[in-house]
Amino acid sequence: MLIVEPPTRARTPVAFFALASLAVLLGVGALPHAAHAQWWENVPRTIPLNAKGEPDLAAPAPRTKDGHPDLSGIWNPHTNKYLRNIAADLKPEDVPFQPWAKQVADERADGSHSREDSDANCLPQGVPRLGAAPAPWKFVQTPDLMVVVHEAFSLWRQIFLDGRKLAANANPTWLGYSTGRWEGNTLVVDTRGFNGKTWLDQVGKPTTEKLHVIERYTRKDFGHMDLEITIDDPGAYTRPWTVKQDLTLLTDTELLEFICNENNRDLAHLPGKSFGE
Amino acid sequence: MQNKSSRRAAASVVALTLVFLAAARPAHSHHSFAAQYDASKPITLTGKVTKVEWTNPHVYVYVDVRDEKTGEVANWALEIGGGPNSLIRQGWSRDSLKTDDVINVEGSLARDGSRLASAQSIVLAATGKRVFAAPIPTETRDANR
Repeated sequence: MLIVEPPTRARTPVAFFALASLAVLLGVGALPHAAHAQWWENVPRTIPLNAKGEPDLAAPAPRTKDGHPDLSGIWNPHTNKYLRNIAADLKPEDVPFQPWAKQVADERADGSHSREDSDANCLPQGVPRLGAAPAPWKFVQTPDLMVVVHEAFSLWRQIFLDGRKLAANANPTWLGYSTGRWEGNTLVVDTRGFNGKTWLDQVGKPTTEKLHVIERYTRKDFGHMDLEITIDDPGAYTRPWTVKQDLTLLTDTELLEFICNENNRDLAHLPGKSFGE
Repeated sequence: MQNKSSRRAAASVVALTLVFLAAARPAHSHHSFAAQYDASKPITLTGKVTKVEWTNPHVYVYVDVRDEKTGEVANWALEIGGGPNSLIRQGWSRDSLKTDDVINVEGSLARDGSRLASAQSIVLAATGKRVFAAPIPTETRDANR
């Protein structure tokens, strides 16, 4: 039976909403436990547990032998909203667009250019958008190098902590070149050397090759991390601007392979030109 | 006319539902939902599964749907909000839905007019069991750019 119209309404709006909510509740509540479908067994737990034997996400943040905060672990944004709109918590006037960038963002905002987004083409989403994707990512920390392993599109970043500087003629890339330093309990990451082909979010804020991203990671406790991001792109914005996000530690999963181009059927149904046209 | 107790009961169900939804992890969306689908055009389909593509970036389910008025059968594509990884984390597997299963689907129509929908609810007709639950993503589409 084919019906292309809204479902039949219940007698009153309240009753309809209650029935719909109950249906959703039963559907979500019936989800089997995640641990039933993982590929591993018997992972030794090295995370603090509370009195109930559950992961204690409020336990103190761990430290490495050299005294710095240990940011290791699998992290995940708890919301899609910054993937959708990195400035979701800002007032519109707080995004300091240059006129051309404002025009581009306005043209993209209704979704009519979605096919031109690198993400939709299974190309890298860029920094910092990659970290706002719902697919989790992992910090692997050593004294001189932080490796970021992203499940999204099976990508990785290197953040060098050994004091090196970025060469002026570094070849432009999707994810740039990252160096980091500790400021107290905060890891400050500078990333430059971008190719200017990525959007900051799905609604389409542009970037240029002049993009410089500053990320500040502060692990508040075992299970929570603050992330402050400054967008410094003098090619598209009149001044640096800053947003805040927060991350949650995932204790019951692992990163999984994610080859986006396996079956990207969506692209043909999205409006806009081909990527790069 | 409803009485106060039924309204309170309804409110309780709604509140409890929001708690459960808040606990669910976001599914990965590698493209804009709003650009591809129209949430204001809900569609209900019933038919037999012809193929399940358990692939990235999104799982696709194909279903033969018969129009009762004309008798014509059309094959529809259903995009599941998450890819295999997010579904695996919710406890589903590639065997959760099989070819020849009869399903009832609620979703949103594709904007381009093709026989494509984003599935928000798939229920097995034989058992009433819901699989691949995927509510419409919350989006602040045009706000605060």
